[in-house]
Amino acid sequence: MSDDAHNNDSHHNLMVNNKKLLMWLFLGSDCMFFGTMISTHLIYRKLYPESFDPTSLFSLELTSFSTFILLMSSFLMALAVSAMHKGDIKGFRRNTLGVIFFGLIFLCCQVFEFTEFVHEGLTLKSGTFGSTFFMLTGTHGVHVAIGVFWLTCMYFYSFTGKMDPHESAIDVEVAGLYWHFVDIVWIIIFTAIYLIEFIQ
Amino acid sequence: MSETHSPSHADHSGEEQKYHAFINLALVLAAITGIELVLVYLPINGTLIFSVLIALSLFKFISVIAWFMHLIYDRLILTLAFGTGLVIATGTVIALMSIMDRGFVDFEAISAF
Repeated sequence: MSDDAHNNDSHHNLMVNNKKLLMWLFLGSDCMFFGTMISTHLIYRKLYPESFDPTSLFSLELTSFSTFILLMSSFLMALAVSAMHKGDIKGFRRNTLGVIFFGLIFLCCQVFEFTEFVHEGLTLKSGTFGSTFFMLTGTHGVHVAIGVFWLTCMYFYSFTGKMDPHESAIDVEVAGLYWHFVDIVWIIIFTAIYLIEFIQ
Repeated sequence: MSETHSPSHADHSGEEQKYHAFINLALVLAAITGIELVLVYLPINGTLIFSVLIALSLFKFISVIAWFMHLIYDRLILTLAFGTGLVIATGTVIALMSIMDRGFVDFEAISAF
């Protein structure tokens, strides 16, 4: 077997790129991580429903706006990956910049929301609701921040001239998978933590 | 280094089709988010609203995974890799929610502790 063929095989043992397979496995494990945190929050809500009424505190308009922003960032991320597959680095940069911008807007909304809650007396130490709510949404926020940082690095790396569209397409795709995952976790959080509290 | 490369015509038309799918999906997802916001304020049966909200969020969840994350265009092993974690996570949520019921929890023991 030639060296080239051997290298190629080592990256595609299962006819799938190893980076991509690893990212999907990581996302599967992250599902379990978020699954336990969502369960914890819902169980405490179920066991102590009278402990706290979040409807007076939550702003559904702001959270819906955050959800919309994150969904649109996912759309732009899909376009960035598509642009990279077409070898269009300018398109990749344009869409990635949009994703970073939307990610930052989401983070700003979350910081604003957290600040409001703390002013109203809801903190990590104020009870089971505060603990589980901040742990869950805070961990998600950290994931968004990591995604923004990762994409910002990729954006600036694309100006170095070392980014070959054919070689780097898989790296962009892997970063895109991570970003979309952050989006789908928020879809669940939005319904399970925010929306159901308002059902009469 | 050149800023654009020239992939094959087949690749290009494939990406073009995906582009239209992405736009349609983004519009649908935005519309669903708006519908969800309106739904919770409607003065109708809570169980019905709850079921519809769960169905809508599942639709959004699966759509993003299938199209934006390219899972329908990719190999089955990736679906299995992610699906395994997802099934375990969903099972854990359902099991814990079922077990941790007011009827099963000894609140007096917790308070005494």
